[in-house]
Amino acid sequence: MTARRPLVATDRAALMLQLVPYLIGKGEVSLAEAADEFDVSPEQMRSMVEKLTVIGLPGDRGYWQMANDLFDIDWDLLDERDLIVITNSVGLERAPKLTAREAAALLAGLQLARSIPGVGDTELYAGLLAKLARGASGTPAEVILATEPVDAVRDLVSDALRRGVAVSFTYKAPDAAPTTRTVDPVKVHIASGQWYLQGWCHLREAMRTFHLDRVSDLELTGIPSTHAGEQAPDWFDTDAGDVVARIRFAEDVAPLLGDYLDRASIDTFEGVTIATMRVADELSLRRLAARRGGLVEVLEPAAARRAVAEWAEAGLAQYR
Amino acid sequence: MNLVVALIATDQGLTKDTILTSVAGYREQSESGASKDALEKMFERDKESLRGLGVPIETIGDWADPDDLREARYRVPSAEYELPEDIEFTPAEQALLTLAGGVWSESSMSDDARSGLRKIRALGDLVDEPIIGFSPRLSLRDPAFPALQQAIESSRVVTFPYLKPGEGAPRTRRVQPLALVEYEGRWHVFGIDLDVHADRTFLLARVVGPVALTRASFDPALREGAGERALAGLDAVAERNSALLEVNPGTEAALRLARRAQPAEQGIRVPYVDVHIFADELASYGPEVRVVEPVDLRDRVIDRLAATRDLHGGAA
Repeated sequence: MTARRPLVATDRAALMLQLVPYLIGKGEVSLAEAADEFDVSPEQMRSMVEKLTVIGLPGDRGYWQMANDLFDIDWDLLDERDLIVITNSVGLERAPKLTAREAAALLAGLQLARSIPGVGDTELYAGLLAKLARGASGTPAEVILATEPVDAVRDLVSDALRRGVAVSFTYKAPDAAPTTRTVDPVKVHIASGQWYLQGWCHLREAMRTFHLDRVSDLELTGIPSTHAGEQAPDWFDTDAGDVVARIRFAEDVAPLLGDYLDRASIDTFEGVTIATMRVADELSLRRLAARRGGLVEVLEPAAARRAVAEWAEAGLAQYR
Repeated sequence: MNLVVALIATDQGLTKDTILTSVAGYREQSESGASKDALEKMFERDKESLRGLGVPIETIGDWADPDDLREARYRVPSAEYELPEDIEFTPAEQALLTLAGGVWSESSMSDDARSGLRKIRALGDLVDEPIIGFSPRLSLRDPAFPALQQAIESSRVVTFPYLKPGEGAPRTRRVQPLALVEYEGRWHVFGIDLDVHADRTFLLARVVGPVALTRASFDPALREGAGERALAGLDAVAERNSALLEVNPGTEAALRLARRAQPAEQGIRVPYVDVHIFADELASYGPEVRVVEPVDLRDRVIDRLAATRDLHGGAA
């Protein structure tokens, strides 16, 4: 859910143009549901609906508009039961065409969805592409994703998820020995071309997230998944750890660190930033620092700082 | 809004005079004595912002003198404005679009996707079986993206400061942008670099300042098939560049590189598109991987490791 922001005039106009077709399509809808659909607060929705009733066709030759020249709603329903019903409409009933950018955003999303095995077939995608092209008011800017071909592990996980059975596999976490896991799949997260399986781990008896590149020997079991309906916690939270780390870098390096800083508290002074965050595993810091080749300095914990120097030195030793 | 309703309802169009004296909003201003000049300015502004929202406002000029706008009539042709009557979306299509529209992390694209979905759902919200179990995400952190997208849509030449790794200061590039491409999790803009008159692909993370749209435009036909050309170009680069690596089995490096690797006589061969980014990745693996060749890549990895060691107090 997006954050609720105050509406600026152009946003409001864009929403109003979509509001009429939405309300007519719904027939009767609660204030709360409509507000949710439009990402506004119920109060903002009420005021949008109220404004609608002063909109209408131009008056004729100096006369004021007649009542049926204006949009109207059932005021009793709105005031007493927070329900919206349009009782008179003077146009705008059919949804506007998609803007080029709206079409582009959906087309790019479709390319990503298409990389998921079993979600939609070629015909479905082709039909959608044609409809979006015809339904857009301008030619969208081409936004192209290079998606990777699906490998056997991804295929099997998708299959297990659909069939609702547990999977078993060997898991190799970074800097740890391999373990054998049985997991009830709950959700597959796909980000930056990486696939993550979130599910109920029989070994840990808890929800866990597994990077599929670290998974091998995956098999579908005959065990019905009993945690498939489990509320999946926000998967970003599952990585938060106990070690408090502090790193230092030039302010303009921050974009290079990407989502690493999402949960960090940031302190910038004269172009130098110090970020403090929790990490699950302090060994991961040496990989972070080496990747940035001298642009990112690990300050704390002291052991992690030493580990970075040793890590880099061990790497260099291979070239002597 | 009153303006849109009025302009859609008319077939032959309304003159500016009619609009300013009869459409609510202008009419009250007009009756309370606002100057004609102020009203016309208001009308021009409203017209522009509606066009910005994708409302096609048509100007029907004088046949004899098309430049004479005094008697011009304005209207919104509903065929241009509305989703075509014969477009319907099946429940399966809506389910897929809902999944597709939800991929964008918080950005201009997520707002656009939600707004596009709303319009489609207004035709009839039919999803009976949502696609669950999959949560694909696309992240978009590059501030250059929206301006480039706008420039592509309107086929306008852009300039932006571009910082190549190893160069001390950014250099301004002049580009006809043709497509935006995500490759290996990073966003690029593909276009024609007007200073070298050749196709180029720029990494958005290296666009270090604002993207400026210039007045110069280019033939939109150049955009056709640009995305495919960009991908083919990146694939060709990856084909030409390949590194020979020795990897310690069972390590993080072995795991992460395996997906991209081909077995070789002495280790593995891994293609790459950008030597700087690949050197970053290989440096992160520390002692888990050794670069055999090319020398260029090998030297860059060594530089990164040495700088990292020195920054953290040197060798123990």
